[in-house]
Amino acid sequence: MNTKREIVSLHNVIKNYGHGKIITKALREIDLKILEGEFSAMMGPSGSGKSTLLNIIGGLDKATSGEVKFNGKDFNILSNKALSIMRRNHIGFVFQNYNLLPVLTAYENAEYVLMLQEIPISQRKEKVMHLFQEMGLEGLEHRFPRELSGGQQQRVAIARAVVTDPLLVLADEITANVDSETAQSLLELMKKLNKNNKTTFLFSTHDPTVIKFAKRVIVLKDGKISHEHTSSENIEKYTQK
Amino acid sequence: MKSKLLMIIKIGWLSIWRNKRRTLISLFSIVIGTGIPTFFVCIAWGFYAGLIDDVARLMSGHVTYEHVDYRNSPSNDLWVGDIQKINKTLNSNAEVLSTKQIVNLQGVAHTAKGSVGISLMGIEPSKEIAISFLPESIVEGEYLSEGDGRWVIVGNKLAENLNVNVGKKFVFTTSDIKGELVEELFRVKGIFKTGSKEIDGHFVQSDIELARMVAGLSSNDVSQLGIIVKNPDTHERFLREMQKTLAKKNGVFLSWQQIMPDVATTIHMDRTAITSIMVLLVVIVLFTMFSTILMSTLERKREFASLLAIGTQQIELKLQIFIETIIFGLIACPLGSLLGVGVAKWTEGYDMMDVVGGKAGDMSVGGFGMDTIITPLFSVPLILQISIFFFLAVQLLSVLPVYLISRISITDELRSI
Repeated sequence: MNTKREIVSLHNVIKNYGHGKIITKALREIDLKILEGEFSAMMGPSGSGKSTLLNIIGGLDKATSGEVKFNGKDFNILSNKALSIMRRNHIGFVFQNYNLLPVLTAYENAEYVLMLQEIPISQRKEKVMHLFQEMGLEGLEHRFPRELSGGQQQRVAIARAVVTDPLLVLADEITANVDSETAQSLLELMKKLNKNNKTTFLFSTHDPTVIKFAKRVIVLKDGKISHEHTSSENIEKYTQK
Repeated sequence: MKSKLLMIIKIGWLSIWRNKRRTLISLFSIVIGTGIPTFFVCIAWGFYAGLIDDVARLMSGHVTYEHVDYRNSPSNDLWVGDIQKINKTLNSNAEVLSTKQIVNLQGVAHTAKGSVGISLMGIEPSKEIAISFLPESIVEGEYLSEGDGRWVIVGNKLAENLNVNVGKKFVFTTSDIKGELVEELFRVKGIFKTGSKEIDGHFVQSDIELARMVAGLSSNDVSQLGIIVKNPDTHERFLREMQKTLAKKNGVFLSWQQIMPDVATTIHMDRTAITSIMVLLVVIVLFTMFSTILMSTLERKREFASLLAIGTQQIELKLQIFIETIIFGLIACPLGSLLGVGVAKWTEGYDMMDVVGGKAGDMSVGGFGMDTIITPLFSVPLILQISIFFFLAVQLLSVLPVYLISRISITDELRSI
């Protein structure tokens, strides 16, 4: 019996873009559940709906119809402010282009969300420093993003995403702008966070390296989930194709 | 909450320095925009304050007590009585610097050369020496003193027109308070030069006792009682209080603006012109600043979108934009004020005529010659008003960027999460 709780639950989710006669169906009747502690990846060709699905799961966009639940709460009825608070407290985002604030140091970038949460300074410092130590970012605290390599910036971005102990981390093509060695180390790091902290990760990717790390791969095609692989064997097969 | 606000302030502060050159140009435009009106206002308001004070001291004070009908027709037979009691009460008032009893007589001066219409002002010479600049404007002979009898002082143009000089006499024809024609012989004790055509050409001063004698007034009667107040800015309130408490049935307290409407109107028009220049400068400064703030917002749309994605609230981003313009204003507006005050201070004591070309007496307001020596007025409330006005104007610039922030579509800006 599976006792893991549902972090994300999508039922019959449809997302259309456009008005009148010109309508693009980005997502078609998606049913999906993400459980606590999963390390999953979504893959599919460009235009398959990966980003749209990730946006809807992250509360950045609203579904045209269907039910979107995050941690038991229906996103469709939450106000923008409530969604914002939900993202701040329970969802971490890692972007392809890192999107760190250039005027803040690595430490301050990671501290930023904790500050939004109004966590006391002593706790903020403890959390960020502990995380930096765990992620191999020691000594880089006072560097600005422009003074860091792509891999280091992405580590800081991951630190920013996980520092609040979110229920879910959504990562979009995070290995697209780094070399394969850095990609490997970033994924190892996230795997470690997933194992140690039970943080749930959901990736959107084209990168076979990410697929290799994932315990579950959701394949999207034309706005629909075409199939899923849950065993490592199947994933191996898929990545070899 | 405090640390969140400090972080937003910090991000705002650091963000405005991302493009140093653009920021410096914007700051410079606000500094100049605030500095120029501050300079003009210090100089012009200084001129006006000096002019008002000079004219008030020379003529009938910042506040004047006179017959209710005197303004409509300044006739010799319209006087106010029981003046010594009012004068005593006024002199004991803490807001009053001094008073001056005046008997005005309109008439004609004659010599063998011809006749000129003049205005004779009978005053108390000892008081006049203390409050008016006219005693210092004597260029020939001496100023009046108590008990001078028929001795008078005249303007240099009048002396020229009547062909008189010190020690010479002329006949003054006027009517007394009963309407009877009166002729008196005056002797010139001194000749003054103020630079004003009207004053130098048609103004005569004598001891008040002589004027009273000519008019047939008693020592308790005057045409006007001039009041010089310590703070001219509060004269309107003082006037209202005096009107309530001291005015007799046929007497009225009037402000210098009511007594000298030409001077008041000219100053008002000049001030309006300077205010218009200020508004124009605001528009120019706002235009420069507007592009800076707008560009700085538009080029960070993706950054704002990512901040919104990770849980920053709209209000916090709007606050950041607002703080950026506050920082601009807080740096530049005080600097602009300091610049304007500094330049005005630097010009203090210079003769305006040396700058614009011309000679003393070329500048007059309402017929009164202006002192062309630059004497700036550093009115803190006024300087603050200009600075705050510019500060608020700059804050208006954050309205559009804040609106744009509220319209950001996170997904559009980030394309994917």
